[in-house]
Amino acid sequence: MIAPDVHLTRRRALQLATATGAGLAAVAATGPASASPKASSPVFRHGVASGDPLPGAVLLWTRVTPTPAATPGSGRGPAVDVGWEVATDPGFRRIVRRGTTSTGPARDHTVKVDAGGLSPATTYWYRFRCRGTASPVGRTRTAPAAEAPVARLRMAVVSCANLQAGWFTAYRHLAARGDLDLVVHLGDYLYEYAPGEYQARDVVVRPHEPAREIVGLADYRRRHAQYKTDPDLQALHAAAPWVVTWDDHESANDAWSGGAENHTEGAEGAWRARRAAAQQAYAEWMPVRYEPGGQLYRRLRFGRLATLSMLDLRTYRDQQPSSPVDPALSAPGRTMAGPEQLQFLLDGLAEPQVQWKLVGNPVMIAPVRFPNGLESRAVEGIAQLVDLPVPPVAGVPYNVDQWDGYPAERAAVLSHLRDRGITDAVFLTGDIHSGWACELPADPLTYPLTGDSVGVELVCTSVTSDNLDDILGTPPRTATLAVETAVKVNNTHVKYLDFDSHGFSVLELTEAGAQMDWFVLTDRTDPRAAAVWSTSVRVPAGTARVERAAGRLS
Amino acid sequence: MSGGVLDRRRFLQLTAATGGTVVLSTALGAPAARATSRLRVYVLVVDGTRPDEVTPLLMPRLHRLRTEGTWFSGARSLPVMETIPNHVMMMTGVRPHRSGVPANSVYDRAEGAVRDLDRPSDLRFPTLLERLAARGRTTGTVLSKEYLYGIFGERATHRWEPFPVLPITGHAPDVATTDALLAMVDSADPELVFVNLGDTDRVGHSDLTGTSLRVARTLALRSTDLQVGRFVDHLQATGRWSSSVLLVLADHSMDWSLPTGVISVDAILRSRAELRSSVQIAQNGGADLLYWTGPAARRDTGLAEVRRLVAAHPGVLSVHAPRELGLGPEAGDLVAYCRAGWRFSDPEIFANPIPGNHGHPVTEPIPFLVAGGHPLVRRGVVSGAPARTIDVAPTVGALFGLGAPRGGYDGSVRKEAFSGLR
Repeated sequence: MIAPDVHLTRRRALQLATATGAGLAAVAATGPASASPKASSPVFRHGVASGDPLPGAVLLWTRVTPTPAATPGSGRGPAVDVGWEVATDPGFRRIVRRGTTSTGPARDHTVKVDAGGLSPATTYWYRFRCRGTASPVGRTRTAPAAEAPVARLRMAVVSCANLQAGWFTAYRHLAARGDLDLVVHLGDYLYEYAPGEYQARDVVVRPHEPAREIVGLADYRRRHAQYKTDPDLQALHAAAPWVVTWDDHESANDAWSGGAENHTEGAEGAWRARRAAAQQAYAEWMPVRYEPGGQLYRRLRFGRLATLSMLDLRTYRDQQPSSPVDPALSAPGRTMAGPEQLQFLLDGLAEPQVQWKLVGNPVMIAPVRFPNGLESRAVEGIAQLVDLPVPPVAGVPYNVDQWDGYPAERAAVLSHLRDRGITDAVFLTGDIHSGWACELPADPLTYPLTGDSVGVELVCTSVTSDNLDDILGTPPRTATLAVETAVKVNNTHVKYLDFDSHGFSVLELTEAGAQMDWFVLTDRTDPRAAAVWSTSVRVPAGTARVERAAGRLS
Repeated sequence: MSGGVLDRRRFLQLTAATGGTVVLSTALGAPAARATSRLRVYVLVVDGTRPDEVTPLLMPRLHRLRTEGTWFSGARSLPVMETIPNHVMMMTGVRPHRSGVPANSVYDRAEGAVRDLDRPSDLRFPTLLERLAARGRTTGTVLSKEYLYGIFGERATHRWEPFPVLPITGHAPDVATTDALLAMVDSADPELVFVNLGDTDRVGHSDLTGTSLRVARTLALRSTDLQVGRFVDHLQATGRWSSSVLLVLADHSMDWSLPTGVISVDAILRSRAELRSSVQIAQNGGADLLYWTGPAARRDTGLAEVRRLVAAHPGVLSVHAPRELGLGPEAGDLVAYCRAGWRFSDPEIFANPIPGNHGHPVTEPIPFLVAGGHPLVRRGVVSGAPARTIDVAPTVGALFGLGAPRGGYDGSVRKEAFSGLR
């Protein structure tokens, strides 16, 4: 084991300590994960992973490279058998399940095994064998039985990991914790851009492969493969089961059912073909119970404590309005979820026998109105952050790629919560490269007086992707502080906002409450960056209120 | 009351601590109070209180009980979210299709009239009050509302008839109710007392600032909290606290609507005279019960059409067959719920002018806590268990070692609040 090597520039550390109120004592260790895989073997170059845990089963994943020619996206290499084992100990003395499956170039030599016959709420270790080589060992954990009481559920919440914009140290710090029941990834697991198109301000920290915008199946496969060679990403995959959904960049920026902002129909082929390629690669390369042509949205249950409804808000949505003042915005039939998924969401929220109703919600649902009185550069910076073609004006929704662009459908969700007196609904959100904690007003007009809230939204920041200080070109926690204050003053349900930081969040659920901790990286472009505790909020059970927590989770 | 009733009770006139007079009636032959160390259970209903109102600022005494005992963060009222059915569910542990009490107001087909379910004969299932009494234990009711006193009648060993009853609201103020509670505890010391404090509900109903500032409601909450605190102090001062278990909960919560948020099924059906003349409406604030009284041959098609027309109103949340909600034939043929911020007003559009209402699903979340000095009570627990009003009877029954009634309970023992309760 390598001793922690905390690399924290004095200037950045002081900025973080000042901004967050946290001392340097809060700097987390940066040692490798306890369940981190051993050095890559030639056959298992892309690590191992698990996902979508059920009480009696968990999905296991790996990718094999049986011959040097069988590179990702190549379509070459032989069909091979891959053995798998699940044990109750890391030394594999008590193997409880084993089997053999086959893979080949048709699925880019990826392997997905639904390992069943397991016990609920149990930690397992797993590995694969191929051509006489054993894979690194992964650790996973099954979900509690459906009716079981659960004292505690702790999960990482992450999104927006742009390899070109930095190092995945956020994943490394999470892998080192050892206390996670699962990892929830809310999308933008990878980015479609070519080198130089989207990176860390002006710096390409690590260039994308292939060195072009990805549009075809081989491209998407190769990009997935590149991400999965990252040792920090491999470590976190090997440390806990993941529950994932995609946002837009797994296919193309601002995707909708008929296209995407970053797709040129014709020149880049047909959107449907591009999306099908992206979705096939996703199904092959991610530890998820999803196959091409199926539905990604699904619900996992963790005893009586929680359900987690993972949404797909790209496949079924109508096109985004052209701007926040587009009259089409308020058309009653506009959809982001699609009618069937919307009903799936509403049904899950109304489940009476489960306490916490978590929603894996790729884009923000809390209404955010653009504030008054900002400098023009800040206004332009926000427009860039949210991909608006024109700077927004005060009073309009600031980001129409979010639920703000689909107000009728959002009203259906929020009124469902209010009309039925549903409690303990928590939306976990990514996409926007910033940390937020919001209440969801029962009635926006009377909320400032009554404070009546029907749920909460907790937004994790980006692992690496640019946010406001990056776009403005200003030091962290300087120019953006005024913007954050203005947003909060104009949107009193926004209780916490950090437009600058990169990092990750950890959410804990108990019967008494939910707590989310935000951790921020000292420098996303530093492969040895530390993670500093930034803030924590608590949602007492039954309240739909966001409060400042007394301290971080222990 | 019939003259025969007088034969089975005696009256006790007491002077309350606040100087008023309290008159209690007691069943003849009731056992005398026993040692101070025996278990006492008090079920206190803070009528119409919302869970988010149990805060250190608004209700400091309740909040202290909540933090010192077990708080059920996801507790809910059950259909129809009205006072009488939920008090009945608390004391019977069974759903309305078994008790015969689905709502406050029903259309009585035999009498051909809409009326409150406020008669002892309306309640067809044995309650804890008489089941415990049959086992030699003493029980008491201190219910602030006339209709609650009416339906529970003489089931308890010791009863207080609400007095003075305020005009219009039909309830006794909480200070008078608490006077009576203290007097009953001091004089008869029943092992179970079932208490309804009606101020927060009654003031909430009439609070014209309910959708925003809730001025009057806030004052009522503080006043009710004072009375709960007064009772706790009294138990402590008289040495009863260490043997006491308190279940404090609401029967439903409260939602406020503006005059623009009114639904009238009468108005919806007015253009369809053949339907309107075939339907009777029992209005319950946030829920309307609809009864088909037209020709039997047209019942199914007629009800389907009524359902379609009512469900199309923007303020209507849903329309149900009563059995979907655990309700029996007393609830009629259709139950319509309104959305949050709406209310029903029937049989005329002006029949329900009050801004605060309940009965619809937004009023399901309730405060529900278990506290007290008894060693069984767990301290400082927050439970997400799905506690319901209907759980009171099984829980209290279990504390006294009383078995389930014939056919079993529909509710559950809330073991989360106790150490070692089986």
